[in-house]
Amino acid sequence: MTNNRKAAGPWLVLGVPIALGLAWVTQGSGVIENDLERNIYIPEELTMPLQVQAAYNGRQIFFRYRWPAEQPHVYHDMLRYEDGEWIRHGRSIPGPDPDGTYEDRVAMLVDDGGVPNFGRYGGYITVGDQMRFFSNSASPADVQAHPYLGETLGQSDVRKYLPATRSDQNDWRSVVDADVLQTQREAGYFLDLWHWRAGRSNPIGASDDQWIGEFRNSDEGSGPYTTNWDGDNNQPLWMLDPEQTGQRALRWEDVTAGGVDFDGIYYLSENNRTAFDPDHDWQNGDVIPRRLLRDPQGSRGTISVHGGPARWEDGYWDVTLVRDMDTGNPLDDTAFHEQGVYDIAIGVYRNATGSRWHYVSHPYTLGLGRDADFQAMAFNGSSPDWSDDWFEMTLFYPGQVDWPTLISRAHAGAEDIAANKPVRPRHSEKQLALYGVEMEFREAITSHWWMTLIAGLIAMLGTTLALLPSFRSTRQGDRS
Amino acid sequence: MNGTHAMLSHFPVGFWALATLMILVGVFLSGRLAELSRAALLPVLILSLIGGLAAIIVGFLVWPMEANLASPLTRNHILMSFWSLGIYTMITVLVWKAGDAAFDGNRRWALVILALTGGLMFSAAGTLGGHLAGAATAFSDVLGLMGWEVYTTFYSPLWVSAVMVIIGIALGALGIMNRRKKG
Repeated sequence: MTNNRKAAGPWLVLGVPIALGLAWVTQGSGVIENDLERNIYIPEELTMPLQVQAAYNGRQIFFRYRWPAEQPHVYHDMLRYEDGEWIRHGRSIPGPDPDGTYEDRVAMLVDDGGVPNFGRYGGYITVGDQMRFFSNSASPADVQAHPYLGETLGQSDVRKYLPATRSDQNDWRSVVDADVLQTQREAGYFLDLWHWRAGRSNPIGASDDQWIGEFRNSDEGSGPYTTNWDGDNNQPLWMLDPEQTGQRALRWEDVTAGGVDFDGIYYLSENNRTAFDPDHDWQNGDVIPRRLLRDPQGSRGTISVHGGPARWEDGYWDVTLVRDMDTGNPLDDTAFHEQGVYDIAIGVYRNATGSRWHYVSHPYTLGLGRDADFQAMAFNGSSPDWSDDWFEMTLFYPGQVDWPTLISRAHAGAEDIAANKPVRPRHSEKQLALYGVEMEFREAITSHWWMTLIAGLIAMLGTTLALLPSFRSTRQGDRS
Repeated sequence: MNGTHAMLSHFPVGFWALATLMILVGVFLSGRLAELSRAALLPVLILSLIGGLAAIIVGFLVWPMEANLASPLTRNHILMSFWSLGIYTMITVLVWKAGDAAFDGNRRWALVILALTGGLMFSAAGTLGGHLAGAATAFSDVLGLMGWEVYTTFYSPLWVSAVMVIIGIALGALGIMNRRKKG
């Protein structure tokens, strides 16, 4: 019996592989889960492909984007009639809109070298302190009380901004003086933002045009949509013109069906609207878009959809935007020139998500007749034939990683950033996506990691103590 | 300090790889080479622990502690390094305690199991160090095939950590009781 116990003793070593094996097969579980209260929603897919082409004819520049989407989301911000009330659907929320009423989008940041860190770190430099929809986002009351963001700009949240527009990178409140902001803008310290929206611009063949400085600002002029809401009477201002469209409203079951007839009526615009009729016998499920589309004006209206509204087909969006190479608005737009090289980064929204639940790219260079990551094709005429190859990008979900963190002691690469080493050779898109997710659970993951580390060492210590009696020296002359 | 850590890390990794090989040779082969392996194992293990401790201490000086604890890769590197050190400390203690009899009977299988487990750990620690130094290896893909994406932190659910602690306490108590009985 004693011999049997002696023989079995060494097998207590199995405590180590059992303990560590259990840790191995369960690792990575038990922490990451959606928590909408903390603005946390993790997309099922962390990366997605995007194909891009560019072309120019000396007067205009064209960008073509193609990306997969299970279905098109063209409805955005809808008013649904229910028991005498118009209920809003499709405002920004964490994660996908449950009804699918949030539009697909593509957004492209462009710079001509005025923002050097953009070419190295892309959109990360625009993610500042306590951004909206982060778990620690600044409160609307604090932003509204801010003398510049709240009282001058009339904003209630912190959106993208450039680092030099703040005197303290760890404080969104530290906006530099207005005259400094203006001087920065005149010096080209801003990012041009092309912003195509499947619901709020595409149906009328338009795109929004914005820029990022101390905030995500809109170009001068008026945008491609306005709000269809009469706050005094709690009802829409306009409805579909029945004489022109044969209907006064859309139907909720059609809006939420998951598809769209691009040849039908799925939007409200200046060309198909009439004044809202409160005396009409409205039925439950009637839907009127809360946004009225209109031709954008001024600098904000310089980008349009080439060839008419873009369409989703066979699982892909195919969007071509066109703009004058030089719009003559140097404070809003980046001008493109022959022999120029430009930095771009692209973001895509799909699956009815908005706000920070987008997929973004690394920064890439675009060359107009010069070496760059990819080339804009020069052509003669008014429409490119797109005979050159696609430039393939991988976009990734960025999670909650902000610029203040990236340049802090909490980022091992902060010294590399200080040394102007770019991110693309260092981090893959997949890596950044996984890091971005982990940042959303940083404290919980760190504590679980500590416990795992220590528990493993305790298992090793205990197993050692269990094995020691079996590892006594038994040979003559050995230690006793 | 990064270069110093990389240089120092070669010593424990090299010694641990050598120790693992010596255990396998000592267990599965016979003859002069096996005898030499068994006889020289303890000094190699002791040197590996000294090298491991030095590498870990210097490793903590490469980046600020905030950065070490914030990066999934760094966390993983630290965990695998400590677990490697832990397992080879186990082997060292056991071989030292058993002397020439360390390879007798079923003890040899205990050493083999620990050596293979430790081999996986220090290989993971080493490849993670390569990642951190900017030189990824294909071994990361092997780990991925084994179910662990190295860009995600290696952590377990609380219940698993509790089970690991229970295993440690239970086996430790068993060992102490057995020792008292024999003592």
